[in-house]
Amino acid sequence: MSGPARPTTGADSAPSGLAAVGEAWLAYWFAPADPRPLALVRILTGLLGLALAASYAADLEAWFGPGGMIPVSATGRSGPTFSLFAMATSASALQTLFGVLVAALVAVTLGLASRGACLVAAVLWAALLNRGPVLAGPADDCLAVLLWCLAVGPSGSVWSLDRWISARRGSPPPAPSPWVRVALGLVRVHAVAITAGMLLAQLKGDVWWDGTAAWWLTTRSQSRLVDLTGLYRGSEYLMNLVTHAIVGFEILFAIGLWFDATRRLVARAGIVAWPLIGTLAGEPFWGLALAICCVPDAFGPDRAGYTA
Amino acid sequence: MASVVLAVYLVGLGLTIAGNSVSGSSALLRTIKQRLFSPWMGPAWLDLGFDQPLTYGLPEDADHDLEVRRFEVDGGAEKNGPLRFPGNRTGERAARWRRLARRIASAASDETAVPLAAGFGQGAFEAVGGEDVAVRAVRWPLEEREAPAEGPRPVKPYEARVRLIDGELQLVELGGEAKRGELAPVLREQSAGAAVTGEGTSP
Repeated sequence: MSGPARPTTGADSAPSGLAAVGEAWLAYWFAPADPRPLALVRILTGLLGLALAASYAADLEAWFGPGGMIPVSATGRSGPTFSLFAMATSASALQTLFGVLVAALVAVTLGLASRGACLVAAVLWAALLNRGPVLAGPADDCLAVLLWCLAVGPSGSVWSLDRWISARRGSPPPAPSPWVRVALGLVRVHAVAITAGMLLAQLKGDVWWDGTAAWWLTTRSQSRLVDLTGLYRGSEYLMNLVTHAIVGFEILFAIGLWFDATRRLVARAGIVAWPLIGTLAGEPFWGLALAICCVPDAFGPDRAGYTA
Repeated sequence: MASVVLAVYLVGLGLTIAGNSVSGSSALLRTIKQRLFSPWMGPAWLDLGFDQPLTYGLPEDADHDLEVRRFEVDGGAEKNGPLRFPGNRTGERAARWRRLARRIASAASDETAVPLAAGFGQGAFEAVGGEDVAVRAVRWPLEEREAPAEGPRPVKPYEARVRLIDGELQLVELGGEAKRGELAPVLREQSAGAAVTGEGTSP
């Protein structure tokens, strides 16, 4: 397994054993990185967050308001949880808290007080999901992960209102930060973890082996986005092909993202494939969230690395 | 220091995946995860298994809706039709209602989902205009590929009566797949705003 892009500076000798592992670790997590891919992830994540928040807005009080349909004591989740939304016992408090979340997501998108906005958005998004776990879908999980990753790195150092304000004040561009690489590294690790988790779950089901999963995805009559039942009725092979193509892509993605030679190709394929799979599965926002995870590797600097 | 924090987090990430597997997890991994990682990863919504198979082709993977109406003692015709969720809602908003409906449908075999059904019924009192309602989860079965191309006929995996009597919220199961016609309330609790409790499961 090759490591990520190595920095252009550093020792040229090839250490061995633990030293090599240590060097690969440091190169993966802390080498200077171009901040633009992280900024692009921030903008797209902010837009995704606003879209997902909008899906809560209209029914917020029906679910979580006083006398709502999901009482605090019946969220259906075990284990340690903490939710600021559970403390909102009045409709106005609930709307105010939700308003702060939306404002934070707008700030994330625009790059205003970026790091703080990402942190506030991550905390409040997690609180919203903890308030009603039964309503949360896979896209919500991905958004939570992306927001925490963005809170780690300086995603507002370019393409942001923060940068625009700094430039107007005559401030020089910020120095390269190792936290950009940490954030981008976490995005990649999570993209692979999400894919691997899904792959492992799928391979426990017969339908992913016998090639019928594509049929079961499209036969959900109320929620499907595209109706391919006619096509699949006409061709069993096509149904099998789509099923195996989804699994095959997931395997290639989870492995290919770790190799310099295949990373960019796999990531670019992911930008097309994930939204397609999401559409077939009736989870379009989940597909978009995974496509966002591909952006840094698809359009970021190549293996030559980044020099400030 | 940052390397240590990252390493700890990556261990936690691995354990959340291993510990949230649909096949279950070993007692060892579960204990380590619950003692050391869940307390801080759970509230941050990072205690995730990512075990999203998209489908297993099972009945539970089908679309589910919710219906709620005033309870009619004699089962007579209702003056107004039931309230339906998601109804005419679309997109991710509708998907959230379907997730709630799927969870309530599981109350037939999963006791931890019963408080959700009771909470849903209680939350619908105002909209329905009464404190005695019938909650019904409706499933749109997945169509077999070899079957004639007809629309699926919905089934009712779970139905319950939710009522408030002298401040006590009661849920009486009316039918469904696993439990049929229980006469005594399976859930009785003093209602003080949201008075239904449940142990719950991981999301």
